[in-house]
Amino acid sequence: MNVISVDGLSRSYGKGSTLVQALKGVSFSIRQGEFVAVVGASGSGKSTLLHMLGGLDKPTGGHVHIDGEDLYGLKEKERAVFRRRKIGFIFQSYNLIPVLNVEENIQLPLLLDHRQPDKTYINDLIHTLGLDQRRKHLPSELSGGQQQRVAIGRALAYRPAIVLADEPTGNLDSANGREVLELLKLAVRQYHQTVIVISHDMNVAAEADRVLRLQDGLLISDTYGGKGE
Amino acid sequence: MKSYSSLAGRYLKQQRRKSILTVIGIILSVALISALGTMGQAMKDNMLSEAIYENGSYHFAYKEPTPDLYTKIKDHVLVERVGILREGVHTELPSGNQIQVDELDANAIQLLPIHLDKGRFPQSSNELVAEAWLLNQLPEKPQLGGFAELFSADGKKQRYEVVGIVKNQKYSQLEGKAHAFTMLTGDESAINARSTLFLTLKPGVDISIQIQPFSTLHTPFDTNRPVLNYLGESSDSNLNRALAIIFGTLIGLVVLSTVAVIYNSFNIAVLERIRQFGLLRTLGATPRQIRHLVFREASTLAVIGIPIGLLLGWGGLWLTLWLMTSSGFQILQMEDFHLTFHWWIIGGSMATALLAVYLAAWLPARKASGVSPVDAVRGAGSIVRESYRKNRFPSLLKLIGIEGSMASKNIRRNRAKFRITTFSIIVSITLFIVFHFFTQEAFKLTVNTNENDRIAFEVRQTVYSGDEANPNKTNDIVSPKTVKEIADMPGVYGVYGQYQWPNTQALVRHDDVDQSFLQKTELALDDVNWNGEGKKVVYSNLTLYDDARLKEAAKYLISGTADPDKLAAEDGVLIVQTVKPLVDGGRKREQMELTRYKVGDKLILMMGVTENPTKENVREVTVAGILNQSPFNAPYSEHSLTVMAVKPTFAKLLEAVAPEQDGIDYGTSLIGIEVALKDGADPEPIRQKLEDIANTVQAGRFIDYVSEQQKARNFALQMQIFVYGFLSVIGLIGSLNIINTVQTNLLLRRREIGLLQSVGMTMSQIRKMASAEGVWFGVIGSFWGLLLGAGISYFLHMQLSNVQGLPFAFPWGGALIACGIALAVGLLSVQGPLRRMAKANLIEELREEA
Repeated sequence: MNVISVDGLSRSYGKGSTLVQALKGVSFSIRQGEFVAVVGASGSGKSTLLHMLGGLDKPTGGHVHIDGEDLYGLKEKERAVFRRRKIGFIFQSYNLIPVLNVEENIQLPLLLDHRQPDKTYINDLIHTLGLDQRRKHLPSELSGGQQQRVAIGRALAYRPAIVLADEPTGNLDSANGREVLELLKLAVRQYHQTVIVISHDMNVAAEADRVLRLQDGLLISDTYGGKGE
Repeated sequence: MKSYSSLAGRYLKQQRRKSILTVIGIILSVALISALGTMGQAMKDNMLSEAIYENGSYHFAYKEPTPDLYTKIKDHVLVERVGILREGVHTELPSGNQIQVDELDANAIQLLPIHLDKGRFPQSSNELVAEAWLLNQLPEKPQLGGFAELFSADGKKQRYEVVGIVKNQKYSQLEGKAHAFTMLTGDESAINARSTLFLTLKPGVDISIQIQPFSTLHTPFDTNRPVLNYLGESSDSNLNRALAIIFGTLIGLVVLSTVAVIYNSFNIAVLERIRQFGLLRTLGATPRQIRHLVFREASTLAVIGIPIGLLLGWGGLWLTLWLMTSSGFQILQMEDFHLTFHWWIIGGSMATALLAVYLAAWLPARKASGVSPVDAVRGAGSIVRESYRKNRFPSLLKLIGIEGSMASKNIRRNRAKFRITTFSIIVSITLFIVFHFFTQEAFKLTVNTNENDRIAFEVRQTVYSGDEANPNKTNDIVSPKTVKEIADMPGVYGVYGQYQWPNTQALVRHDDVDQSFLQKTELALDDVNWNGEGKKVVYSNLTLYDDARLKEAAKYLISGTADPDKLAAEDGVLIVQTVKPLVDGGRKREQMELTRYKVGDKLILMMGVTENPTKENVREVTVAGILNQSPFNAPYSEHSLTVMAVKPTFAKLLEAVAPEQDGIDYGTSLIGIEVALKDGADPEPIRQKLEDIANTVQAGRFIDYVSEQQKARNFALQMQIFVYGFLSVIGLIGSLNIINTVQTNLLLRRREIGLLQSVGMTMSQIRKMASAEGVWFGVIGSFWGLLLGAGISYFLHMQLSNVQGLPFAFPWGGALIACGIALAVGLLSVQGPLRRMAKANLIEELREEA
């Protein structure tokens, strides 16, 4: 079953002589439980694609369907609520809320929805992420790897349809980076999550079930387990 | 954490310093608004009580009424109470003074300004109340419970028992005429041509509307204008409208500055966290939820700040007044001052403050909720896009080198931030200038200050015109030695002589009469011909100034000299040519110039009662000094030129008065003395001494207004305390605003400053750059603040002119103070953040995400 289907997606910035076409009609679909890596050189349109998938930015053409819902057919507010419930984000720079502790940061998407968090699930998540001892710590009291684990926890808290990770290992050393990748793979296995990772890191691509390669705003290859489709 | 909205509280705690500054801003503003409201209302209440104290509480009066009229108004459905007064016949006293026993009914006692000091009011037609000073002059010298024989209202001698003593009144003492009051019996039968009816309307009746129908019932009809004015029921609504506009403008300015303070701190707090708001958006927070967060922060600050502000405003005022009363002051010249508590002021201040807080939080909230999540997640660095504007003119800042030119670029890099910063500085400066101007004007309007304030006692001699027994020159009332003795007594500030005032008119060249004076007053001055030239005849008050008076006069000099020797040597005189005539058909007074003399001009005086100038009655003197107001008596005359001469000059001028022309042989002898006291002096020994002197002088009178004098001085002092209290709070709010703006402007650029350091800018260069920015914001703010402040001051001045006209004086004082404070605060407020930056780790700063 397709969780994401992208159809003729394009995005351009500026106009006239400063017109930049970041995405030029990209189409693909992703099934539930896939671990997909999007790779490409700087400026190839990776981040733009991620923003489009996350409903953060508006495309200039094409459609994105997530869980059967046309993401850009929604109103601004509906899209925010959709994002809250269906999409988890992980950023290179962690982007935790500095005034909230580990547990609160993880629960935040649920709180924004005025929901009481499922204690067992959250505890399980914290345990899986190895943050049991750090529950009450503020982000400033954590190492980079720990912060990124909190960010993963936050992305998974709502059991979203998809998890989007933008260079999740970019700021980490190789040991911590590997650990984060393991956790993401675990999420795919244990919670049957769909994970899409953007990365320069070829290790990430090697771990993925499927690799989408972008160049100059075009999808130039789509490989499953190292084999082209 | 129960809900995402707890984030608001966390943010406030995290930014404790800024939150505290914002709360202080709210507290000060609320305190100011509520204190301003309370004080304004208290002033109005007090002016009303004062007006009632002086004029009585009646609304309308009818003179020469008929019994029919009395019945009609007594039964009138709108009338609450009617009082009758019947004037008596006066009785001449041996001292030359007069007493008149008026009859009053019980209602009139309530409605008229009669204030019992001791005893009780009369209950029958053979009891009376009188002023204490007068009782001593009656042949029987009765005390409370004593008896006096006086003419009754029907012209027969009657024996009265003194059952009460009413308070001494200055004017009755000066005029030598006093009223005593007895009980009126037999209502209607007492109503005749010597009666007056006084009435009040029932509460809730619109008095101003009833003036017209009541005036048609009978003439002469009169209204108690001062009281109706303060009740807001005058037919002439100018005063109330002016007061409403003035207080409205002032409160509006305070609100504006509150909005600026709070807006600034919110805006900065939001800008600092804009990435976090963006992040919340990526996590699925709706714009509404983000706005809600910002408003929740605002509400929290308001909930903390507003009650404290109200408490501080009301409590501060209460404490000030309490301290004043317990140290013996009488507040606002009132016998009994209560700070009236009005719910509408508390409610109004709260509503205004809440409005200001939400208004201030609205734009930042919108900005926070509108932040694009893409921008927020797009790596580190400031996400506020800045568009650098090229300067149209080369900035003066470039003169101080690279730091200056960096500063000038920094100032202009972001239009919105530039506007916010200058806006709040401008508001602060405007606020200070306008308040400074207004309080000074209000002070000038409510407090007449000259040397008369200090005069507590007078001893004078009655000089009768055409007194056959005394045809020749009067002698000095006391010798110079006695004057010196009094002057040397502890607590005496000065002893000033009183002399005779001969009739004097000035012959003024047409060009020397101020044209706008003639136009506005519509006064027709007589024309005469003197030495072949047409002159205008201007009434003048010529007085003799002794050395003691000249010493005080020197304080009021605008130009020239008040040196007695110089004046005597060149026949010089001092003049006051500023007057305060009635204009606008008698509706208000306006201060203006009567003539345009300069020091050194010749002044031609026509002496005595005469209409035609002749060689005999005209003398020429020189204008040696010009004063801005009279040092003694009324500061400004209505439309006369005030001329002050020293003894030799005065004597020469007297030679031109035709002998015994109006029955008086004018001379330069001392006919009375005025004694001024130092503040806080014990008046008792001086009173004793002067009373003794008065008793030894033939037809001598001792006048005691020490209590009135002390009240007047206290009032002036209190006004000053309030004025400077208000100004300090305003200055504090303004400074807070500037500190907030300039500091946050700098703190937001921590990372950038780290960057500048990393490329080799030294901390002292950065300090120079940042200081230049701070000062430059002060300069720009001062420039516009000055213009706006002067503009609004002029607007207030126009409103005040509806009450009383004063010339507009550009508010230089307030302007200089405000601009000085702005520059200093601008300069000082960058130093704290800079010191912190100097201590911080460069790498950390660079790493830090904006």
